[in-house]
Amino acid sequence: MGLGGYITQFLFPLLIAAKVTVQVSLGAFMFAIATGLILATFRYLLPIALIRLPIAVFVEIFRNVPSLTHLFIIYFGLAYVGIRFGSISSAIIALGLIGGATLTDVFRAGFEAVHAGQREAALAVGMTPRLAFREIILPQTWRVTLPPIGNYAVQLVKDTSLVAAIAAPEVMFTARNLVVTTFETSIIYAFAAGVYLLLCLPLSRFAKTLEQRMAIPR
Amino acid sequence: MIQFLQTLFDHLPLWGPRLLPAMGNTALITLASFGLALGLAIVFELLRSLRITLLLRPIALALEILRSVPILAVLYLIYFGLPGVGITLSPFASGTIGLGVVYSAYLAEVLRAGIGAMHKGQREAALAVGMTPLMAFRFVILPQAVRTMLAPLLVSLISLMKDSSICALIAVTELMLEARLIMSEYFLPMHIFVLVGLIYFAIAWPMSLFAGYLERRLNHGRRAGAPARKKAVWHRIALRTAAE
Repeated sequence: MGLGGYITQFLFPLLIAAKVTVQVSLGAFMFAIATGLILATFRYLLPIALIRLPIAVFVEIFRNVPSLTHLFIIYFGLAYVGIRFGSISSAIIALGLIGGATLTDVFRAGFEAVHAGQREAALAVGMTPRLAFREIILPQTWRVTLPPIGNYAVQLVKDTSLVAAIAAPEVMFTARNLVVTTFETSIIYAFAAGVYLLLCLPLSRFAKTLEQRMAIPR
Repeated sequence: MIQFLQTLFDHLPLWGPRLLPAMGNTALITLASFGLALGLAIVFELLRSLRITLLLRPIALALEILRSVPILAVLYLIYFGLPGVGITLSPFASGTIGLGVVYSAYLAEVLRAGIGAMHKGQREAALAVGMTPLMAFRFVILPQAVRTMLAPLLVSLISLMKDSSICALIAVTELMLEARLIMSEYFLPMHIFVLVGLIYFAIAWPMSLFAGYLERRLNHGRRAGAPARKKAVWHRIALRTAAE
């Protein structure tokens, strides 16, 4: 079989499977942004232990346990207690929650990076804390948070490969299926790695550009 | 809830003796691949510091590729793909090499942030007072670089430990694989995965607390006046590199 044969037989199915990878990535990304922003905002606006402690517990649990464990708990564990999710929705929920924990920290660092004087000045001219947050603090945090969010997105696309372990038909899973029928291991897995490269390289280039553009000059 | 804990405790004597050696394997593969990653990262950085124009671009490209490919793809390529070209490795060796190679790209970044971040006046001053380049590195550059690198290195070690769970998918008998085997024997997925999650947490959490402590403590002198940083996280490394 020539290269053309390899491409039609292996690369095309993998590229089609990349659709699921993108779908899971986008779903988890939006979930993570929403979770992270909401939790960090709550934490910032309501600095009381009752709010901070559960958020801290959530963040620590999702940051210090492997993604695969969370994936299995949500896919196998929850099914056992009667809550059944499909493999793709389990993936989006698990990766979204993990990303939410990561981004909570990112946004928190972003809020902290805004000089305290900004907030004090806003309060001094009569803004409410909430208004000051929305109009003064939040718009300034993007400069600090966007680069790590870009890096997180790259990490997320790569982490979707773990979803193969719960049989979601994404790139790695499709690659495995192709291997089972054709035994062309090295070619197929190299193609699979290539598909991720195709997805991640532009994304990480973009993240790098963001990083350089947003860098706060010293 | 009570019943859940009851079942969990009932099975603990059965599962414990199986999970313990698996934990040992997790520790072993984590440390082995961290050592490999650190060694490779030092080689990458040394090659980069030689500033041979012909090498700079290939190294940068290699690191970028390593950072853009999922660990699982690398592990599959090594474990299932290499036998196709005549190289057969055990699951453990494949896992160690795969994790080590992927993490070398991250550690190279940490090393560069630590050593490259140093003001070049430091080295020049050391050379000016008569130190050899090696002495300058050993007595001036390294002690300062270690300060900035220790916390990010520890953070990498933690995420390497977490990622070692991926090796379960190429049949390395570490914690995650043992958990899957136990799951298929006892049909108690919730119990076993929560237990394993707790084990990972019990190892990773103290380490990340310590990393946060280290970062606050070792950077103390440098960031006088800046608000105290609370925790070491990956993006801070990225921020630090971006600031150079």
